[in-house]
Amino acid sequence: MKILVLVKQVPDTTDVKFNENGVMIREGLQSILNMFDQFALEEALRIREMYGGEVSVMTLAPEQAKTAMQKCLALGADKAYHISDRAFGGSDTLATSYALSLAVQKTGPYDIIFAGNQATDGDTGHIGPQVAEWMKIPHTSYVERVEKIENGTITVKSLLEDGYRMIEMKLPALVACIPPPNFEYSNPSMSGIIKAKNKPYIWMKADDIDGDKSKFGLNGSPTRVVKMYPPPKRERGQIFTGDYSESVRKIIEHLKEKKVIE
Amino acid sequence: MVDFTFTEEQEMIRESVRDFARKKIEPIALKMEETHKIPDDVIEGMAEMGLIAPTVSSKYGGQDFDPVTAGIIAEELSRADPTGSIPVFYLVQASWGHVFNKYGTEEAKKEILPNVTKGKWFLGIATTESDAGSDVLGTKTTIQKVGDKYVVNGEKMYISGVREAYTRGGGHVTIAKQFPEKGAKGMTLFYLPLQSKGIIPQYVDDLGREGISTGGFTIDNVEIPSHYIIGQEGKGFYIVHEGYEYARGLIAVICAAAGLKSLERGENYLKQRKAFGMPLAKFEGLQFKLAEHYTKLSYLRWGAYNALWTYHQEILGKASRFEVSKAIAMSKMFAQEWACEAIDDVMQWQGAFGYTRECVDQVAWRAVRSFGWAEGAKEIMKVIVSRELLGKDYTAYK
Ligand SMILES: Cc1cc2nc3c(=O)[nH]c(=O)nc-3n(C[C@H](O)[C@H](O)[C@H](O)COP(=O)(O)OP(=O)(O)OC[C@H]3O[C@@H](n4cnc5c(N)ncnc54)[C@H](O)[C@@H]3O)c2cc1C
Repeated sequence: MKILVLVKQVPDTTDVKFNENGVMIREGLQSILNMFDQFALEEALRIREMYGGEVSVMTLAPEQAKTAMQKCLALGADKAYHISDRAFGGSDTLATSYALSLAVQKTGPYDIIFAGNQATDGDTGHIGPQVAEWMKIPHTSYVERVEKIENGTITVKSLLEDGYRMIEMKLPALVACIPPPNFEYSNPSMSGIIKAKNKPYIWMKADDIDGDKSKFGLNGSPTRVVKMYPPPKRERGQIFTGDYSESVRKIIEHLKEKKVIE
Repeated sequence: MVDFTFTEEQEMIRESVRDFARKKIEPIALKMEETHKIPDDVIEGMAEMGLIAPTVSSKYGGQDFDPVTAGIIAEELSRADPTGSIPVFYLVQASWGHVFNKYGTEEAKKEILPNVTKGKWFLGIATTESDAGSDVLGTKTTIQKVGDKYVVNGEKMYISGVREAYTRGGGHVTIAKQFPEKGAKGMTLFYLPLQSKGIIPQYVDDLGREGISTGGFTIDNVEIPSHYIIGQEGKGFYIVHEGYEYARGLIAVICAAAGLKSLERGENYLKQRKAFGMPLAKFEGLQFKLAEHYTKLSYLRWGAYNALWTYHQEILGKASRFEVSKAIAMSKMFAQEWACEAIDDVMQWQGAFGYTRECVDQVAWRAVRSFGWAEGAKEIMKVIVSRELLGKDYTAYK
């Protein structure tokens, strides 16, 4: 089984601040492996454990993203492909997915491609599906679990708003993963970290992937960000204190006043 | 050139241990005050991560880690566990695992170390007796060769991890007199399994580090095989200092981390608590305390890493044992005091709450206070540094 996981390094957004123009303040923010991608990787490693094979990881990102890639290797991935080139500067999701799809084909073929469902910074959820569309292979998003792989097909459990659906796809296929609630992320072990140093780390440039160069970077990016703003701050709710039944009565009165209930 | 940065790999180790400790240790840390036990799943998790005796060779399940890298792990464990129990569990095994790995026989290493690194057994150190602590030569426990075995008699006291080794398995690197007439050259170091026939444990009620036991044991005609001798007969007094020194360096890091973590809690409190219409953080009298403690503890932290680095240089053959002894003793000399002073002030800032059992900082204070004695009293650190400065001719005793 040849498996590839697409990953991204993102700013740690657990405690983000915005400046007055609504732009995220990046200074002081740590960079981390996108948690959706880590889940995808852990799912890929579980599949390798069950069916054997090799798991590679791939990112299209500036050099600093190497830390996130090293973490993937430390967690157990076998090989890393890091595509980094000025030519990809200013890429939107379309240009990124185009370049990635070329690199996937160049380094493949793979049986399964894993991706995080979305990245915690952009939150578009585009990359996985777009890579698959460029490659014309089946794909499913919101995958919480790969159920089985047999007879050249993969069955995945995908999250819906009100339940799940089981989807069977022909391989090769792409699955965009989302961690189930309370998923326990692994930490790289000491020996994993040491072994990571000696695993193949392959740098790739724009010239290393064949394709239509006009679709790379800013030129290949139809998306224009017009304005960014944080969602308006919600006012603090009103708190009713005191005796329990008295507070409930007050809340009901208040809601009636506001015509929320009759 | 001086470069105070950690390697990429070390940073990754720090991040991974910090995240592990945040998820698995922080939530249970204070509970150990009542359970008097490190939860089994934490020990299992640590073993899986490779955090138990990582100083041991990978041949026996360790990680071949150098002292600085071992220090990084100690620091992160200390930040996460104010009771100090897990840091102690870690530092003792890391230090004495190193000694065992260096001087143990191949047979003993194969038999014992994998069980230690897997978290099944505990590996401790037993030199102190009720009548001899700093003065190791005052040891009364004896070891005698009888046929192809050795027989040990005596007692040890104030020993960390007695319950752990007695119930889980494992034992202690132990010192005893083999040739009493030879003084320092008559002491032998060996591995003493605590589940041996003839060992009777007892426990003391410590002020802190509640998750790991301190106790003692009587040793009544306990037989050990010859391959349990560590190093050579008569070399124990010299070898044992290599373990102490490893442990002291780790303790200095642990003290700095415990103090700095307490200051972080203190900073938050100073910003939130208001008095006289403004946050406490605005009072310079308190700010200056914060600045002073932070500065001292940062020096302590770097002093400790420098000492561990010197230890590593010695392993690489680039520094002498004397340089190590001095650097290590300097790092431990004020470690407990500076950390306790900082934590004491953080307790003070919290007003009356600081004097309650709910206040985390008093837990940290009780833990750190133990390092004024454990693995070598702070006064002895001054004895060592003076000896290194003035030369042996000026030591009052050998
Ligand atoms: C919580 C805890 C855990 C411990 N765990 C272990 C363990 O796992 N294994 C182990 O072997 N031991 C352990 N110890 C014991 C520790 O190593 C000893 O307490 C320490 O070596 C001091 O010995 P002592 O207590 O006998 O004090 P003493 O040696 O009797 O000293 C008493 C006091 O006099 C001072 N003093 C002694 N000699 C001099 C001198 N020459 N100049 C100036 N001052 C001096 C000492 O610094 C100390 O303050 C532990 C101790 C504690 C508190």
